Amino acid sequence: MAPTLSPAWRQRWPWAAGILAVAAAFGLQTQLYSGQVRTVGTIFMFVALALSWNLIGGYTGYASFGQVVFFGLGGYVTAALMTHAHWSFWLALPVSGLLAAGYGALIGIPLLRLRGHYFAVATLGVAEGTREIVTNLPDLTGGGGGITLPTVGAAASTKYLGNDGFYLVFLVLAALCLLVTALVSRSKFGFALRAIHQDEDAAAAVGINTTRTKVLTFALSGFLTGLVGATYAFQQVTIYPERLFDVELTVLMVVMVVIGGSGTVLGPILGAIGLQFLSEWLRQNYTTIHTLLLGAIIIAAVILLPQGLVNYLREARRNGDYSLLANVRRYRL
Amino acid sequence: MSGFFQATIYGLLQGGLLALVAVGFSLVWGVMNVVNLSHGAFVVLGAYLGWQLHSSLGLDPFLGMILVAAVLFCLGYAVQRLLINLVVNGPIFITLLLTFGLELLLVQGMNIVFTANYQSITTSYAGNAVIVGDIQLPLGRLLAFALAVVITVALVRVMSRTRVGMSIMATGMDRGAARLMGIRARHVYAVTFGLATALAGMAGTMVGVVDTFNPAAAGRFTLLSFVIAVLGGLGNMYGALVGGMLMGLVQAWGGYFLPGTWVNALAFLLLVVVLIFRPSGLVGKAFYSARLEV
Amino acid sequence: MSATPVLETRGLGIRFGGLKAVDDVDLQVPEGQTLGVIGPNGAGKSTFINLVTGHLRPTSGQVLVDGQDLTGAKPWVIAKARVARTFQIVKPFRGMTVRENVAVGVMYGPDGMTRMGPALHRADEVLEQVGLGAAAGRSPGELSVADARRLEFAKALALSPRLLLLDEVMAGLRPGEIEPSLQLIRDLKAQGMTIIVVEHVMKAILAVSDQVLVLNAGQRLMLGPPRDVLSDPTVIEAYLGHKYAARQAAAQAAQPTPSPSAGAAPTLPAASAGSEEVSPDA
Repeated sequence: MAPTLSPAWRQRWPWAAGILAVAAAFGLQTQLYSGQVRTVGTIFMFVALALSWNLIGGYTGYASFGQVVFFGLGGYVTAALMTHAHWSFWLALPVSGLLAAGYGALIGIPLLRLRGHYFAVATLGVAEGTREIVTNLPDLTGGGGGITLPTVGAAASTKYLGNDGFYLVFLVLAALCLLVTALVSRSKFGFALRAIHQDEDAAAAVGINTTRTKVLTFALSGFLTGLVGATYAFQQVTIYPERLFDVELTVLMVVMVVIGGSGTVLGPILGAIGLQFLSEWLRQNYTTIHTLLLGAIIIAAVILLPQGLVNYLREARRNGDYSLLANVRRYRL
Repeated sequence: MSGFFQATIYGLLQGGLLALVAVGFSLVWGVMNVVNLSHGAFVVLGAYLGWQLHSSLGLDPFLGMILVAAVLFCLGYAVQRLLINLVVNGPIFITLLLTFGLELLLVQGMNIVFTANYQSITTSYAGNAVIVGDIQLPLGRLLAFALAVVITVALVRVMSRTRVGMSIMATGMDRGAARLMGIRARHVYAVTFGLATALAGMAGTMVGVVDTFNPAAAGRFTLLSFVIAVLGGLGNMYGALVGGMLMGLVQAWGGYFLPGTWVNALAFLLLVVVLIFRPSGLVGKAFYSARLEV
Repeated sequence: MSATPVLETRGLGIRFGGLKAVDDVDLQVPEGQTLGVIGPNGAGKSTFINLVTGHLRPTSGQVLVDGQDLTGAKPWVIAKARVARTFQIVKPFRGMTVRENVAVGVMYGPDGMTRMGPALHRADEVLEQVGLGAAAGRSPGELSVADARRLEFAKALALSPRLLLLDEVMAGLRPGEIEPSLQLIRDLKAQGMTIIVVEHVMKAILAVSDQVLVLNAGQRLMLGPPRDVLSDPTVIEAYLGHKYAARQAAAQAAQPTPSPSAGAAPTLPAASAGSEEVSPDA
């Protein structure tokens, strides 16, 4: 039985923990080698991505399988602005996010009327289609041959940030996504998202403007994903459509959220960190077959822990039943 | 003009084959509400198996594909029975993730066993062209088209006239009611998936005859199957035929008229537009309008 | 008390392809009235509710709430106009507590409470009103059928509605569970609420309705006081079929003088027996 905390403390301690974690992450940087800084920076990148997907896919229940479109758009808008218009990265970054959000609102209005698989497939179609459009506009985007952001010389409006710089930017983005998720989950808005997820007809019947709420959430998740994509583009310097719009990125986001626990604040974070560690470890120790093993692990995780780690622990603690086999029985035919 | 006509014929021939690629995917989605992200991998696997049979045993691919179908049926049955059936009642992204993991497994497995090099099944006759007026019809493509159409039509007969087929349709319409009538849903689902992978494999072997392939092509086939399934209506086999032809035409005309790879963007736009305005597909009624889950 | 009816429909209809599920229904429900709506299965009763509450878009006709044209308005707009409904198959928010289920309506309904604390408090008040106060912290999945129905009630009442549409709230309840539901409806009626009760349980219709509307094949068959409607021969025929009505007519003709054992004029059986549902014969 956990020690009982006073009500004020019970409300506040997750915030305190969050702030502590972010502060620790800042401090962590001083303890790492340069190569490790890059790896951890990438972990923060995935934490941000997972949290942003979680908003539309986890809380609202609309599994977007084209989320990478925002990543790619964010990256390419930044690339175009920095390369052609010589903007500073710091200006291109928010603009990229906003344009990605705008795109999300635009496609969200027709697509969010679809449910389940239809929505997933439609968003996938939009992502693939957008990639094709980007590939076929070589003057603007460099097309299939890629585009290189200016990082040296007179054309470079922003000095290249280096591993340490990008570590900080990704950390800030992850913290931002964490903040947004925490605010959403505890707010009236979060109730609307959950209501839409759990029964959309009933949600509409009690006064929730489901269309506006869904589109807003989709645009918000697009904004956050776009920011990450913009940063990634700067980090990579040269970007290609197949990489920036890679469907595998979306799937990674989904896997991280699902394994960690969708619709929670902690779940996506744990899922992102866990999966990245696992992926890196596999890559180093089983180089030839690491993707194979990853596939097998995804299958196992989805069968044994479909509701994700955080939700599984919560329920197990409530029911006292930790059996994983009971878990399997839940969704089997 | 004959260039355009050639492109059109080409598109139709390709379209018939694409229909066979997609029909299993459409069936699985329509009957079980499972979107199989590894479908393309089974297609490519069929191509590799056909290629292996051809290069090791000299077996003509159009005959070898029967063996390929048998092998892939067993594999698909096992996959459904032992893996996918475990998550079928969960939210949709669970099955999506499972099949994605499966795709990773299969594609990487093929990469390791067969390497990532492009292959194709070259037979002595496939390249010969039947010439009609100005139009060239490669024999391989003609055969593939004919067989694809025949198989698809046969599939429809199987579904409506045999006990197995009817139990599949019944389970697809109302799983609970079907079970109450003694239909073993787990087995039926596995048969459906096995059927889908067998069809995918046959299509894959034929693709191997007319095109080059490598493991990375899996994703493209899955995506194509998506579009065709949606165009034709989920679970609608004639619809898959129509959707496939349409897709073939779009690709052929697009390649003829549009520069670069704009045609792909067009295909996806078509997918999204159909999903928004007519999610039940362009062809006829949906397989069924309501679904009851038990 | 205004003269504008709380709900008015003019020529309301919807067609699905060739089928007119609701066909040219005119209706006026004055403030404070409790209107019972009956009709055989497939008559279009639930469809009618869906048309009024915005879950379906009418293909013809109009819906006016307090004189305001809300035809085809989205469900949340209707909710903000203080029109609330229950669902025939209950639709709770499964991942939230009972209290939170009701609080959603308090927060997003016409009262639009923005702070969660007061919203949860108000939710508790509503739960007390329907008799679910003790279950406030539970999960909807743990509730009995009767309690789940009460939760539907509570979710509707969270909107502080002027017009309440109840879609077969008595279905599947045991006789002992029906009475508390009826009492709740009577209490709401006493507070002046306008209520539309769609039901198969005739006892309930008789107990609370001021007027009864009969729908058959999507059309308005009859509107009148409960006893009159329930003993009307066309209504009986619609419910119980041509053969039963013919038999009743034959029985009437065979007895020139009303005998004590035959009792009153033929009515729908449940109306006199006072038990449960009426289902039409094949």
